[in-house]
Amino acid sequence: MLQYIIRRILQFIPVFLGVTIILFTLRAVIPGDPVRMIAGERAIPETTYQMIVQNNHLDQPIYTQYVYYLSDLLHGDLGHSYQKNRSVLDIFAEKLPYSASLALCAILVEIIIGLLVGIISAIKKYSFIDLLLTLSTSILVSMPVFWLGMLLQTFFGVWLKGWTGGALSLPVSGAGGPISAYPPILHYILPAVTLASVSLAFTARIMRSQLLEVMNQDYIRTAFAKGLSKRAVIVKHALKNAMIPVITFIGIDFGTMLSSAILTESVFSWPGIGREIFLAIGQRDWPIVMGGVVLIVIIVMIINLIIDISYALFDPRIRYGKKKAE
Amino acid sequence: MAEMMNKSNHLLELDDFRFFFSTKDGLVKAVDGVSYTLDAGETIGIVGESGSGKSVCAMSIMGLNPTPPGQVGGGDIRLNGQSLLSMSEKELRQIRGNRIAMIFQDPLSSLNPVYRVGKQVGEGLMIHQGASKKEALRRAVELLDMVGIPNPAKRARDYPHQFSGGMRQRAMIAMALACDPEVLIADEPTTALDVTIQAQILELMQKMQQERGTAIIMITHDLGVVADMADRILVMYAGKPVEYGTADQVFYRPLHPYTWGLMRSIPKRTLDDDQPLTPIKGNPPSLIDLPKGCAFSERCPYLRPQCRHGRLRMQQVDEGHYSACLQSFESSFLLNSPRHDSEAAGADALGAVANGGAAQGFAQRGGTDG
Repeated sequence: MLQYIIRRILQFIPVFLGVTIILFTLRAVIPGDPVRMIAGERAIPETTYQMIVQNNHLDQPIYTQYVYYLSDLLHGDLGHSYQKNRSVLDIFAEKLPYSASLALCAILVEIIIGLLVGIISAIKKYSFIDLLLTLSTSILVSMPVFWLGMLLQTFFGVWLKGWTGGALSLPVSGAGGPISAYPPILHYILPAVTLASVSLAFTARIMRSQLLEVMNQDYIRTAFAKGLSKRAVIVKHALKNAMIPVITFIGIDFGTMLSSAILTESVFSWPGIGREIFLAIGQRDWPIVMGGVVLIVIIVMIINLIIDISYALFDPRIRYGKKKAE
Repeated sequence: MAEMMNKSNHLLELDDFRFFFSTKDGLVKAVDGVSYTLDAGETIGIVGESGSGKSVCAMSIMGLNPTPPGQVGGGDIRLNGQSLLSMSEKELRQIRGNRIAMIFQDPLSSLNPVYRVGKQVGEGLMIHQGASKKEALRRAVELLDMVGIPNPAKRARDYPHQFSGGMRQRAMIAMALACDPEVLIADEPTTALDVTIQAQILELMQKMQQERGTAIIMITHDLGVVADMADRILVMYAGKPVEYGTADQVFYRPLHPYTWGLMRSIPKRTLDDDQPLTPIKGNPPSLIDLPKGCAFSERCPYLRPQCRHGRLRMQQVDEGHYSACLQSFESSFLLNSPRHDSEAAGADALGAVANGGAAQGFAQRGGTDG
């Protein structure tokens, strides 16, 4: 097992190099003078210009710049924001708790509602409720995240408020705080649901098809033949088998969720890393964009490793590392 | 079969039982008028090709056929005189795995891959006898020991994929016998196993039967398997019973041309040029569009015009020996039976069936399994 983990961590290296090289190339290709980004709109003396060039190694060839960047990265330095004159790491450290807590809420929503909807659809297959749930998940899957976010804002923030004379509404922007009229927990609802929406719909559909497939297996017939009730058969014998592909999906999908967090956080003005990256893209603030992507890549790789390891908990047929052949 | 229906002191009794499936192409009469009785310690062999309705019939006893699309088309199934068909799902659950247990063809896919064998073997005890987890596991180890699994305490902690094919079927038998059922239904229990293992599993089932007095319903397409074990044999074709009698009657005085066909398609031990295998020509008919009259008529080499008319019922030819063939009463017709093939070859064929069951079963499977 330990051997497996070490091997997987070593595999991080080429992925990591690949991603950073692509980003670096992109930065070089996209027009815009970095010095102007750093210095701003005002005219600057030539000496200052040269100083900025030298400090940022901009006079070096691009591969040398890349080596500088990697070396900084290995020292835990993600660079300096062009616009904010702060270290990228500092900015992210401040934003991370917001993003992490939102992502956690979204995953909880995805798992709880997604699994529940999938299980109900499978148990009541071809019924009206199954049709309704399948239709809803189809719509959710095909709906752009930012548009769903705006719809929810309009409905819960504007219309509902109007209908109930202001008695009922949900916050549509920000993460709460002293100036907010709502308790902080309410601020999570709409962004978390929006962020979870697409993944939730996929989770429900995979859960449904997996459970239906597992229910046709011979060992389910055996369980019925033992005298178990349908409920016990599903809970004890079917779910654990059906969960394995669902967990795979949730793991793989985590990266997708992080990228839709950029849109969701922007729509809801959520003060997290996603919104920071969104703003930085508009301002060509490369260190933040690159730092953000690097951070996301690292998180996705770690989560995938954890998911792979957790298979072994669900499926005894999977054992990592060397073991005597069966 | 009138006198059989009136007795209700049998352990298990199927009485003109019918089970149909409605499909978009029409009504499939998967089981059409099956009757037999089973007493404690007895074994009945149900023999037929794939799709002959033998498995559906067995699942009906357990009440495990999906309804819909399935539906009971008539008749009754009684356990100790009590109708299983009129029981609620809750009452049936108390019988499944407790009084009637079942083992299946493929022991690997029939065991849940994510639970330890010991837990699965003991699960029935927790459901039916209220055993604690610990108690169930202790009993499971005893059961595994009883069915001949070496080092049972350790193997109970293994997962099914760590067992060999034969051991898995032993574990299935242990699981089925956990609550000491009165009836054990074995649906092709040796079909998925190696030849050498088949004989061991049959032997184990016989041993368990002698020790516990369990009644066994042995479902198979392989006459060799039931030759050793069965007291009585029911031959099914296209959902209908075609021959029913004691094992001796069916093996030594077979009445129905389909039974003859099954016997002739068993490879004999001394296979020479003048004794070629004689397969049954053609394929089983579609259950939606059965031929008029005898269902076997399309494939029967002894077809007569009257076989195409009317509905054929099982008729008693000898004491306790029934056949659905119109011509079974004609002694000249019965000369066509494999019993009356050339003296030496005929005896050899029957000898092969009666003695080396499992070994030929393997070869025969290539021909009839689907």
